[in-house]
Amino acid sequence: MVTDEDQLALAAEYALGTLDADERAQADAMIAADKEFAALVEAWGLKFGVLNQMVGSVEPRPEVWDRIREAAGLSGAQLPLLLPETPQPVVEPPPAEITPVADRGNIVAFPREGRRWRTIAAATSAIAAALIALVVTQVVRPDLLPEGLRPAPRTQVVQVPAAPAPAPAQYVALLQKDGGGPAFILTVDGASRNFTVRKVGDAAPEPGKSFELWVISDRLGPPRSLGVIGNGDFTSRPTLAAYDPNIVKNATYAVTLEPQGGSLNGKPSGEPVFAGKLIEAVPAEKR
Amino acid sequence: MLCRSHRPLADRFASQYDAHRRTATLLAAKPEGLDIDMLTPAELVWLIAAVAKGDEPAFERLYAATRAKLFGVVLRILRRQDLAEEVIQETYVRIWNSAGRFNPAVASPITWMASIARNRAIDVVRKRTEASIEEEPSAMEVAAESPDPLARREMTEELKRLLECIGRLEPERQKLVLLAYYNGWSREQLAAKFETPVNTVKTWLRRSMMDIRECLGL
Repeated sequence: MVTDEDQLALAAEYALGTLDADERAQADAMIAADKEFAALVEAWGLKFGVLNQMVGSVEPRPEVWDRIREAAGLSGAQLPLLLPETPQPVVEPPPAEITPVADRGNIVAFPREGRRWRTIAAATSAIAAALIALVVTQVVRPDLLPEGLRPAPRTQVVQVPAAPAPAPAQYVALLQKDGGGPAFILTVDGASRNFTVRKVGDAAPEPGKSFELWVISDRLGPPRSLGVIGNGDFTSRPTLAAYDPNIVKNATYAVTLEPQGGSLNGKPSGEPVFAGKLIEAVPAEKR
Repeated sequence: MLCRSHRPLADRFASQYDAHRRTATLLAAKPEGLDIDMLTPAELVWLIAAVAKGDEPAFERLYAATRAKLFGVVLRILRRQDLAEEVIQETYVRIWNSAGRFNPAVASPITWMASIARNRAIDVVRKRTEASIEEEPSAMEVAAESPDPLARREMTEELKRLLECIGRLEPERQKLVLLAYYNGWSREQLAAKFETPVNTVKTWLRRSMMDIRECLGL
């Protein structure tokens, strides 16, 4: 087993991609010569590789497949080239299960009495040290490529349903208890500020109660309700659209247990059960 | 619909590969509206196993199911259509030749394939001089429209775990690591972005890697 810290760091940075060309060449030589080191590099590559789940899909041009077939020396005899010859730029409609829950989208105007909650906000940001969130800016789009490099318009963007559309900034927060796994994943669309809460844990409110989502920010005073989290796997709402983007980005998001249908007086009735923050990870790049 | 045009291919599978008839029938019987890209990891594992035996239709199907994902990954790093296409070509030739090396116990098919593609893209981007990369225009405006696609994207346990570990880094370092990974930025580019000396970036990266390692229990 590789225990030398320099080697461990080298393997990790190789996988991260930050070595310069010379260091990479050196590491390549080590990979060829040292099986253990090679395995370490591969392990790191696969550990980081899951990050690609967050990257949007972009359809390559059909001729790429022809070139692959040629380069790989495929016979191709029995294939009528279905895939390359029938590019269908179809945008799949969003899956039907994502139905915005139709109960009240209650943004309640609070009187000024946010002190207690400010304390809670501070406390949750302490918890938030262990919470994770991620921003992925889906900036790679063929239509952003320089004019001459764009594929023919007909095949310019072929949307692939599994990873629907290349998107604007996407913010993600895992809402969780301190030390516990996430119960909800909150995603916020950077442009529209629509958000979706996705149930991932087995957390369920007690009978006769509801989970309610709040946005907490010093700049807002008391916490503001973003509405009740529905019983389905997904709850989508536009209720963050009313807020300043900077508040949205930096706020703490907390889930409380409320009477069924949501807090009666527009204030949270207890401490947050789950909380998390959005962290800017891959900002829209401006070099 | 994309799906319909692929159905004959799946049907061919069913008739040609008796040993795999069950899987193939399963593929062919997918309900309308489910795209080829919706193949499950298990189906991809099966396709890669078939590719390892030189099964060309399986390779074509694997390509169809994964090309857009891999292209998205490398285009993000290379930012040029022509370079990204070259890398995709090399990646799939490599997958064709080394599918037998894939170990489903260690990684999901798409993670494995995307890692190969990304690694190759990093090779290319590091060998080009910084200047030639900087020449490329970067019209990085984000466009709106799509309703929160990320919410519906797969998020595996492994991803959540890694994100938790990255999330324990200081915010600046989180950004550093993710910019390095997603955009393939060099230390110099990161140093410019964070307005700090390259050596500092080097130290931060190394420290971050060790922190992540400890957190993941590697």
